Amino acid sequence: MSGSGSKCVRLSGPLVKPLLDSVDCVLFDCDGVIWRGNQAVAGAPQVINLLKERGKRVLFVTNNSTKTRSMYAEKMSALGFNVTEDEVFGTAFCCAAYLQTVCALRGKVYLLGSAAMQQELQAVGIQHVGVGPDHVSGTQQDWANVPLDPDVKAVVVGFDEHFSYMKLNRALQYLLQNDCLFVGTNRDSRLPLEGGKAVPGTGCLLQAVEAAAQRQAQTVGKPSRFMFDCLAARFGVQPERCMMVGDRLDTDILLGSNCGLKTLLTLTGVSTVAEAEAHRASGCAQRQGMVPDFYVESIADLLPALQG
Amino acid sequence: MAGAFAFKGCQKIRGAQIRGLLEAKDFFLFDCDGVIWHGENAITGAAKVVNALIRRGKNVVFVTNNCTRPRENYVSKFTRLGFTDVMLDQIFSSSYCSALYLRDVVKVRGQVFVIGCEGLCRELLEAGIPCVEETDEPGATIYNCALAPDVKAVLVGHDDKLTFLKLAKASCYLRDPECLFLATDNDPWHPLSGGRILPGSGSLTAAIEVASGRKATVIGKPSRFMFECISSQFSGVDPAQCLMVGDRLETDMLFGSNCGLDTMLTLTGVSQIEEAQEYRNSDLDSNRSYVPDYVVDTIADFLPAFEENEEQND
Repeated sequence: MSGSGSKCVRLSGPLVKPLLDSVDCVLFDCDGVIWRGNQAVAGAPQVINLLKERGKRVLFVTNNSTKTRSMYAEKMSALGFNVTEDEVFGTAFCCAAYLQTVCALRGKVYLLGSAAMQQELQAVGIQHVGVGPDHVSGTQQDWANVPLDPDVKAVVVGFDEHFSYMKLNRALQYLLQNDCLFVGTNRDSRLPLEGGKAVPGTGCLLQAVEAAAQRQAQTVGKPSRFMFDCLAARFGVQPERCMMVGDRLDTDILLGSNCGLKTLLTLTGVSTVAEAEAHRASGCAQRQGMVPDFYVESIADLLPALQG
Repeated sequence: MAGAFAFKGCQKIRGAQIRGLLEAKDFFLFDCDGVIWHGENAITGAAKVVNALIRRGKNVVFVTNNCTRPRENYVSKFTRLGFTDVMLDQIFSSSYCSALYLRDVVKVRGQVFVIGCEGLCRELLEAGIPCVEETDEPGATIYNCALAPDVKAVLVGHDDKLTFLKLAKASCYLRDPECLFLATDNDPWHPLSGGRILPGSGSLTAAIEVASGRKATVIGKPSRFMFECISSQFSGVDPAQCLMVGDRLETDMLFGSNCGLDTMLTLTGVSQIEEAQEYRNSDLDSNRSYVPDYVVDTIADFLPAFEENEEQND
């Protein structure tokens, strides 16, 4: 159905049912796809609930690191989605899984991150230091000579509203040790927000630490494969029978392409059809992964086929 | 490599060769940290070298990316460390040049949002450029804080009081394409005496570049602008008459190269000679710009050249 043939096709009418029949599992991004801020996208709860009723496996894959799985489950219930916490894969949960399984981390983490990240690390038995406000005091020599916890073996960067120069400095001092791992949750540059204000995303904080330390972090979130591997391991998902639905070409759609999934762009979030067309027309091989198979105005466009 | 031609540059010089250079050049540009001092300690012999150059009628200027102190503080520091003849107008810091850029090149009308220390704001205020005052309540967040009207530029420098809120505000102001985005310098880290390092302006600038999706205009080395300030102040400086002396290949040597100056690496600071040699041996043409023309162990290596001069004059 998808693959090397047509791309960036408007999914409408008679095309919907055959597409849904060709997949057993549907992955949804959250922000800009099923909700915006604290409001569900109109029709989204019905879509998710109907897909499940029709026997599809429905899972959620989000780069947001500020909520634990149970916090996500709570938000979803409140908005009318019938979802259990083990169906949600956020980067807080996945980062802890990554450190535990891929890195086989022995030691503590110096964490630039949220309470959610703390909780997910604790849940897999990884100790952490550094969360919360942290400001400079003393002289420059004091900052460069901050006492380092000898048990810290990894610096982990997630979304951190308490980000400060001192925290950047501590991360740098730890990373100057060659055996210290460096992991970031994701590279999203901005959080989607209404009302004309921009909130810098984790990508900004990560870039600051990478620049100071002159080292690149391994990232857990989309478009890196890890989140798909994490959920596929738990749920036995076959890529060729799986579809990724997202609003961002450079994270959601690219993840889908990287993992051999069908991809559906929804226009209720960040990316536009024009951007997708530009990637396709570019002739650049690396950009083709950001061209979705299909697009819809909103996932509510799937309802008629599900209700019929 | 078939030695068909020698790679130019990285020539370790002393004695008579330095004397020749001192005679050929009449404009000497020195970086500060790692070249003439380490923190509060002058490099042995540096003060004698600088004083001797000035007494011989050479033009001597100091070109530093350090944006944390106003120039008056530098004058005091020079005096304190034994550099007796250094005046304010010989000092070119990235903060001073950022103020000049805003005042004379951009002719900014409106406020500037500064992410930097007090020293940076002072240079702007002295140049008559208003900086946005930080008046947030404790606990203010980007969701409820006030944004200043009429912000025409965001200037990023070294800021040890950086917070998430400041990053967020900067990216809000930069949503206006008419609002300029400037950085005092791009150094990702800077060294302290004792081999330690701290995060530099470059790391803060990187964060805001990602948040805003825009690239900053960099005022400090290796950008040409500080040389333009110098040239303007001295009513035209001939690059052929200049020697740029620094310790950091990616900043000082590249700056010299960008401005068409001869360059000298001193080994008392950040870069090692092996790094310079690696750039010289590289296949990439662009790496040539990092290669110093000359290398000295320390600028105190100039001293014998002066003494010989003096002997000849007897």
